[in-house]
Amino acid sequence: MIKIVKRDQPSRAIFFFTPVLAIILTLVAGGLIFFILGFKPFEALKFFFIVPIADKYGFSELLLKATPLCLIAIGLSFCFKSNNWNIGAEGQLTFGAIVSGGVALLFYEQEGFYILPTVILAGAIGGMLYASIPAILKTYFNTNEILVSLMLVYVSKLILDYLVVGPWSNPEGFNFPETRQFSDSAKLPLLFEGLRIHAGIFLALAAVVISWFVFYKTYLGFQMKVSGFSLKTAKYAGYKGKKMIILVFLISGACAGLAGVGEITGPIGQLHREISPDYGFTAIIVAFLGRLHPVGIIFASLVVAITYLGAETAQIFMQIPKYTGQVFQGMILFFLLASDYLLFFKIKFIGLKK
Amino acid sequence: MNTNLKISNVTKIYPGCVANDNISLEFISGKIYALLGENGAGKSTLVKILSGVIIPDEGKIYLNENNLKLNSPLDAKKNDIGMVFQHFNLFETLSVFENLIIDSDEQRESVREKIDAIMKKYNFSIDLDIPVLNLSAGQKQKVEIIRCLIRSPKVLIMDEPTSVLTEQETSELFLSLKKFSDEGILIIYITHKLKEVMQLCDEVAVMRRGKLVSVSEIKNENIESLANKMVGQNLKTIKKKKAKTSSDQLIKITNLNFTSEDPFETNLMDINFSVNRGECLGIAGISGNGQSELFQVLSGEIISEKNSIEFNNNYIGDLSPQERREYLMAFSPEDRLEQAAIPQMKIFENVALNNFKSSNFFNNGLINENKIKEHSKKIISDFNVNTDNVELKSQFLSGGNLQKLIIGRELITSPDLLICFNPTWGLDVGAINYIHETLIKINEQNKSIILISTDTDELLKLSDKISVIHKGKLSKIMNSEEVTSEKLGILMGGAN
Repeated sequence: MIKIVKRDQPSRAIFFFTPVLAIILTLVAGGLIFFILGFKPFEALKFFFIVPIADKYGFSELLLKATPLCLIAIGLSFCFKSNNWNIGAEGQLTFGAIVSGGVALLFYEQEGFYILPTVILAGAIGGMLYASIPAILKTYFNTNEILVSLMLVYVSKLILDYLVVGPWSNPEGFNFPETRQFSDSAKLPLLFEGLRIHAGIFLALAAVVISWFVFYKTYLGFQMKVSGFSLKTAKYAGYKGKKMIILVFLISGACAGLAGVGEITGPIGQLHREISPDYGFTAIIVAFLGRLHPVGIIFASLVVAITYLGAETAQIFMQIPKYTGQVFQGMILFFLLASDYLLFFKIKFIGLKK
Repeated sequence: MNTNLKISNVTKIYPGCVANDNISLEFISGKIYALLGENGAGKSTLVKILSGVIIPDEGKIYLNENNLKLNSPLDAKKNDIGMVFQHFNLFETLSVFENLIIDSDEQRESVREKIDAIMKKYNFSIDLDIPVLNLSAGQKQKVEIIRCLIRSPKVLIMDEPTSVLTEQETSELFLSLKKFSDEGILIIYITHKLKEVMQLCDEVAVMRRGKLVSVSEIKNENIESLANKMVGQNLKTIKKKKAKTSSDQLIKITNLNFTSEDPFETNLMDINFSVNRGECLGIAGISGNGQSELFQVLSGEIISEKNSIEFNNNYIGDLSPQERREYLMAFSPEDRLEQAAIPQMKIFENVALNNFKSSNFFNNGLINENKIKEHSKKIISDFNVNTDNVELKSQFLSGGNLQKLIIGRELITSPDLLICFNPTWGLDVGAINYIHETLIKINEQNKSIILISTDTDELLKLSDKISVIHKGKLSKIMNSEEVTSEKLGILMGGAN
């Protein structure tokens, strides 16, 4: 017989074990789905999770996809740790890309060392501006940041649509919905010849280090931790709640904006309609899979990045629809939330009584 | 026929603690039984076993020689065991009548007749058709009792029933309980209040740390003997020396108002009082009459008009709690686990919640962990917190030790004024004594206290002046020598 018993205290080992368990369960369930769809489960899983990263090029692609996920998730963890629910990183990414893309277009066919930093800075500022909207509405008008930040995602996508179709569209582009290509000075340098991995990865790594320092070594990190556990305590301690809400949203927006910069000045090199395969939403899964811990987020972003690659490989080689990738992302979150049950309860197997 | 309830060798073990250790007791109707013990002694566990909420690991329950299988609260109801919990289980927005028929499968009309008969018999007067939220605590409790009586129970268990009642409501309750007992209902009365046991009960069973310590007749006991059995040691009684009243005013509240947008909060109306140095002002009242709002206004969690609070000749009504700390105020909120401290954080992190400028806990935005730990060790030793590990998570401290840590954290800055709200709520007698001694010591050092408390005995013991808060209004301030608990009770109930 099975008995569910409440834990006296959440165990630290379980805290880091449940994400692993969630991944294992996702693999099992994924195999099952493939089987039901009529594919060979092991072969499908191989194409999904091993083939895509088996060579140098694949590994570079993995890092390429993991970079924005990691960057955004780090930013989001500032919000989530302090009880602020920013769901609109995708919008902040898009708006950051719009602003930095606009600046990059200003420097069309110009060269200069100052161009790239300006473009990057513009992206961060764009993301911050866009994130400040839900933050200010929350602090001064008591709106719900989940709704506001989410709805702003669609606004930003429509703005991008309008710009690339209308005023910013490439005059020589045969009415394709895209801008001109940025000049080389406005692009992030590639790290290796023939691979697409670019210098944006350093932005992500810097964000990891900085966030670790802020979380565990600074007064701001301490205040975030307290607010995350209990807003009542934060109020009692006298922390300036409004200031902090705005600050964490700005940090989060800046990270998402930088991820947007990385996309358009990296592999794409221009603005068009589809600059992000929902990195901003997927990063929410990454943040929680990584337990809002900087190092955890690195691993989580790699795991989730595989689902993007795997979906493409599986589509090419096995004609499995690429949307399976999203199914896998959904399953990871689903199983993670489910196995978090184990944080507070343990399952005891006891002999049959009577 | 007499009702006979027998608990036989009941044991319930939780991880790390034996809540009930081989308890055997026998109750016979016609007498009122007290089950006495401190918080955590195991009374509640035993009662929950009797009412089917908890299933014991071992042991049996017999009602009139029948072995009862109590696997759910429904089983207890079916076996004529009625239970009134400390916290009411009523739907606030439903009417009294709807609350009463909610678990009944009888015809509405016949239940109404039954209720009317019960109310007539015991002299209860409650309007059955108004929503429960309009009732006073005493009336709500009567609704709970009626809900039990509808099922004509053989056993009625009352769990700490007086914690929300005024003195007058308490005596009414006792009269009713005696009536029930005369009619053959077996009454088991759970409490940690010794006075009530002496007043109401015929027999008393004392529990301590999960064990049954003694069963005796009330006529062979007195308050001291019961207290010693309950705590397991001889307690010294604390007495406050009459403070030499200074006329040096420390804090003055003038025309303070607070209007809340939240319908579940109480508005404060025209609050005026002042406290001199070395004085303790007690604020009595039934919980939910504006104490929490008053505490927050005083601590700065709720900002008020600048001029409404004058502290040490500064107007501070618009300052945040952190800024008020710089003026040497300190605060100990009611809720230890959700406000005053964070159980999931370590002791030294909780100490850092009181971040005053000279502490140097945070330099240039960085955490100075060594400084905080050093400071925490001092608090732990100065205030007798029972651990030497500042890295321990606070959830492993008992309520008493956590409260000592909180009070210590607030007092280590030697503030001029400590504002505390129910500082001994839910603590054991030893810890209560320690906290009381500490508070008296503060007054002796010419520091002041505002003590907001729902415990009248505590207020009478510690305060120099007392006022009562009722529906957000303060009564006039009285010298504590002129006040009796009866008088406080009348004011707490809202009469003049």
